Amino acid sequence: MSRFFRAGESDSDESDSDYSDELTHSESEDHSDSDSDNSSSDDDDTAKKTGGRGRLFEGSMSDSDSEDDTVRVVRSAKDKRFEEIEQAVTSMINGQKINDWVSAQNEFDRANKGLQKAAGIIAQSGVPKFYIRAVADLEKSIQAALEKEKSSSKKMNASNAKALNSMKQKVKKNNRLYEKEIQDYEKDPENYVEEEVVEEKPKAKKAKKVVVADSEDDSDVEAADDGFTPVGAGGKSVEFNQENIYKKLKEVADARGKKNTNREDQVRILERLLVVANSPYQKIRVLLALTSAQFDFAIGASGYMSIPLWKNADKYLNSLLTLLEANPDYIIKEDVPEVEETDKDLVPQNGEPVYIQGSLVAFIDRLDDEFTKSLQNIDPHTTDYVDRLKDEVGLYSVIVRSQAYFTRIHLTDSISRTTMRRLEHLYFKPDIVIVAVENATAALLPASVARPHQDSSVLIHDLCVFLYKNATSLLRTRSMLCHIYHHALHNRFFVARDMLLMSHLQETIHQADVTTQILHNRAMVQLGLCAFREGMIKEAQTCLQDISGTGRVKELLAQGLSPQRYGAATPEQEKLERQRQLPFHMHINLELLECVYLTCSMLLEIPNMAQAGSNPDGRKKVISKPFRRMLDYNSRQVFSGPPENTRDHIMGAAKSLSNGEWQKSIELINAIKIWELMPEAMKIKEMLGHKIQEEGLRTYLFANASHYSSVGLDQLAKMFDLPLASVISIVSKMVWNEELSASIDQVSNVVVLHHVEPSKVQSLALAFAEKAAGFVEGNEKLLELKTPQQAERPKKGANANKEQATGKQQQQRTMGPRGGRAGRNQFNNGLGNSVRGGRK
Amino acid sequence: MAAQYDLTSKMIPFLDLHLVFPLLEFLEINELFYTPTTLLEARYELSLKTSMIDFIDKLHGELKDAGVTPAPIELVERRKEILDKLQNSQAEAQKVMDVIENPEVINALRQDKLQNLQFLKDNYGMTAEMIQTLYKFGQFQYSCGNYGGAADMLYHYRVLSTDDTLGLSALWGKLASEILVGNWEVAFEAVQELKEIIDKTHFASPLHQLEQRTWFLHWSLFVFFNHPKGRDAVVDLFLQPAYINTIQTSCPWILRYLTAAVVTNKRRKNLLKELVKVIEHETYQYRDPITEFVEALYVNFDFDLAKQKLAECEEVLENDFFLVAIQEDFIQNARCFISETYCRIHQKIDVAELSQTLNMTKEEGEKWIVNLIRDTKVDAKIDYKENTVLMNNNTQSVYQQIIERTKGLSFRSQVLATSIEKREAAQLKAAQHEKNHPSTAVPETATKA
Repeated sequence: MSRFFRAGESDSDESDSDYSDELTHSESEDHSDSDSDNSSSDDDDTAKKTGGRGRLFEGSMSDSDSEDDTVRVVRSAKDKRFEEIEQAVTSMINGQKINDWVSAQNEFDRANKGLQKAAGIIAQSGVPKFYIRAVADLEKSIQAALEKEKSSSKKMNASNAKALNSMKQKVKKNNRLYEKEIQDYEKDPENYVEEEVVEEKPKAKKAKKVVVADSEDDSDVEAADDGFTPVGAGGKSVEFNQENIYKKLKEVADARGKKNTNREDQVRILERLLVVANSPYQKIRVLLALTSAQFDFAIGASGYMSIPLWKNADKYLNSLLTLLEANPDYIIKEDVPEVEETDKDLVPQNGEPVYIQGSLVAFIDRLDDEFTKSLQNIDPHTTDYVDRLKDEVGLYSVIVRSQAYFTRIHLTDSISRTTMRRLEHLYFKPDIVIVAVENATAALLPASVARPHQDSSVLIHDLCVFLYKNATSLLRTRSMLCHIYHHALHNRFFVARDMLLMSHLQETIHQADVTTQILHNRAMVQLGLCAFREGMIKEAQTCLQDISGTGRVKELLAQGLSPQRYGAATPEQEKLERQRQLPFHMHINLELLECVYLTCSMLLEIPNMAQAGSNPDGRKKVISKPFRRMLDYNSRQVFSGPPENTRDHIMGAAKSLSNGEWQKSIELINAIKIWELMPEAMKIKEMLGHKIQEEGLRTYLFANASHYSSVGLDQLAKMFDLPLASVISIVSKMVWNEELSASIDQVSNVVVLHHVEPSKVQSLALAFAEKAAGFVEGNEKLLELKTPQQAERPKKGANANKEQATGKQQQQRTMGPRGGRAGRNQFNNGLGNSVRGGRK
Repeated sequence: MAAQYDLTSKMIPFLDLHLVFPLLEFLEINELFYTPTTLLEARYELSLKTSMIDFIDKLHGELKDAGVTPAPIELVERRKEILDKLQNSQAEAQKVMDVIENPEVINALRQDKLQNLQFLKDNYGMTAEMIQTLYKFGQFQYSCGNYGGAADMLYHYRVLSTDDTLGLSALWGKLASEILVGNWEVAFEAVQELKEIIDKTHFASPLHQLEQRTWFLHWSLFVFFNHPKGRDAVVDLFLQPAYINTIQTSCPWILRYLTAAVVTNKRRKNLLKELVKVIEHETYQYRDPITEFVEALYVNFDFDLAKQKLAECEEVLENDFFLVAIQEDFIQNARCFISETYCRIHQKIDVAELSQTLNMTKEEGEKWIVNLIRDTKVDAKIDYKENTVLMNNNTQSVYQQIIERTKGLSFRSQVLATSIEKREAAQLKAAQHEKNHPSTAVPETATKA
């Protein structure tokens, strides 16, 4: 007996056991066939029910199981198992011959059990032929017995008849598994067993379902409803009527969450009640119960609410909202005192609205969450995902609708929650999509509820402003981030940046919850991409640095699980992380992100490296660690083939840039395919080309300054294909910032490079001075170490330089100061603030 | 062309009614941007909101002369009304004034306001309401255009009152009055005081404080560009983080005045760096020839553009109410900036070209350079034959470098030595027997190469 079976046995929850029972059946026949799970769950209800009943018998049989093992003969495992089965089959055939269906059923079960035990063997050698023959014959004889039963006047005794009935169902179900074999057998009943050809594939796929519904009679339906006591002997139409609608509702409500409650039945009752209900009050009550009943269904193995159920919930919620719109006097609220007499139809009297307890906003939340969950679990590269995504319009319209409803009844908290949901469905989408969604929504909804917004930015702005004014601080933060993201998406870098800085989000984001931090990271990344599109390389690099520089991009953006090092995460953490994942359609393209980051790093780092030259102090100043690492790795390789991926291209471009071959660098950068994903790719390539020219010039000057005493400006301009004016501007800037010790000779139009080539004595003196300084510093450090209480004083001298250096570095990396109300100037430290969105 | 750079309309929302008049008059006199009639009308509209009856009357007449017939107004009635009110409040205020001006009282007044109040109440029966009348009277006088009187009244009120919010608005009123009277010395003091109060007070919302600061920035322009020490103060004040933020957040156009002040301020050249940063970051929000000039010079090093912008600056400055006075100064300093930057970057400069860059003739340019060399001690020489300026290479010599590097060493070693001595002494005190274990650090004798 499989472990599944046992689990099913002990589980008292009805629907679960149904499910596992299904499993048991398929398990008992076949372990390896994974298809059977899915297909058997598709079986219709009656089959399930009878299966469920059959289980009881199986359970009772398990006691007598051990008797067979008395004779201990050494046989091969296969023989032993098959013998067991054969024994059972023989006695079963005997039983059916003498019309003793009770014993036949017992034997049948035993044979099945034996078969299940022998599953491993069967997988190799196929189902024993004799078994197939027996079950095929069995079906026929059952049919014959039933025919006889009907025609004959003498009834067989009750237990026998019951056993016969259940046998019929069981065999039918069982035989479906062996359809092919049985067909084979039926083609040639004589020779079937004799054929000793071992079939390679013992299990045939169940291509077609046998329609079982034909023989459904009254007693079967009765049996199906067995677990449900309230249904009396009378017909169903009488069962649910105006009078007892509240009673039934109450019963359903009471049964909710209890053991042995069959949710499907509950839903069925509620659906019938809905047909019966005719006053708005009744309908609302039933719909409320019905919607929550949909959400009550067990999630199952897939990890999300099944799609038909979700659609039902969506449908009911929609009709509930329609009802509420049509009857403005009925109001659903969370905090309504429980009405005493629930079985009366409440009608609004003289303008007093009727309050009904319930929480629409919770439904909306749940519906939206389930939608996200399903998207998280569906493979994004299948059509299923696309199909699922199509449901978003429906969901969105429900959200818009409920938002309108909450606005009407002034539930501020609920309005903000739904507005936030709405915003989160929109902020990452491009204009066209937003407008399309809005139009589709408007088409779905009555005109009084929603008017389509033609301008997405205005819509987002309105939603955000509403949230800024009314919502709690968490929602405000989130809406602000969404707003920033949206601005950045539309290339409004300055607006987005100012919002980020003025809101002081970066100072407090570390205290926020993980999903908000992820949103913050997303906004930062988008801001960086925006800066890149606008040609602000330095800004882009700073924005992306902390996220792309970590190597944990996936985790920080919740776009997939990063491989765990040393199994650092516990299963719980991993599960949490899995739950945070964003649905695929919201993802920011990580490859593009990396490409942008590396390109920015290249444009900043290559001149920086050239400037540092062999100077060890300069070497320390690293702008982008990952970039340097990659470049080092790349240059260490003995043979480097032609570039294949984005990274190779950029590394190649970086190398040629540092060698002054800017054309090649541009070529390589332009060859990267992923730029096509950017809007206006041509313009971006052009911009990059221009930047590469400029940086190439700078790199060239830094690298080769020591080899020239003067360089013609015209020549430089020609070399780098830049206008003379910009060459002069670049050189001037370098001179002014004291990056290059040179000056321009205006008359002859050359750059004169000043060389300070110290003589031997001079350089030795310099080195000596350096050493002496090092000595003093060393002594100071030593003293500091020995006397911790005096630590402050020596610091002054020793660390001053260092502080200065870091200060300078920071300044160079800044995007420059901009104040907010009090301290927008912290932008330099701030912008790089990514948040570890990962596990906490 | 320069109309787009006119800031009057942007600034008016942040100014007091009465402070707007001088701005409009300036525009009218210089016949700038708008037709005189529209300006006259605007002034008339404004004046209707005040109680300056005679002024209204005058403007009314002028408008009629200009061919526009404004809606008739009940001037006579209003005049009577206003005069009545004036007399009433004057009478009320006089009571208080009589008391205050009593020499005995003046002698008895102390620093402590509460005590003073108590004293006045006990001896002269003065109540808080009576003191309030001073404020009201001051306000009314201000509204009538009697700024001197208003300033007086508000001063007295502020001395006596303990009400902070009213005190603040009284200070605003006083500042406005002093500005309109042209009493810059006092106004300057008021500005300083106001700044302190705004910085110190805890406003209910940051927005409120922002508003106050914005007003303050605008109002202070009147004072700063008229007071001799004003331009220093502008730079000092506006570059403070709080005010820079205010400028960036609510009124980027103030950058023009800040830039002008920095450029004309010889002593504050090191502030230029800061300014350049701010300008660079505000370019997307605000730009005019003055900020563009700085940008061209210090961000792009485009001397041609700088030259062009300088010419534009001249015009803009001429048409700016606040900056017209420093136009000459600005141009001089801007040229100085250009040539300084130019000299630092270049080694050999053609005099003719430099003069052109500075918008000067060749002779002027030569003179200018000679002056520059003399004044700023730039190490340069003019080659008369080739007509060029030769800049001397001013790289640091190796000896200089070594001196720089070893400068602090002896001092640092000394410090080290004393601290070791101290430590040893302490150790001696603590445990005599540990005497033989001095610290491993040996004092380093300074080495000077």
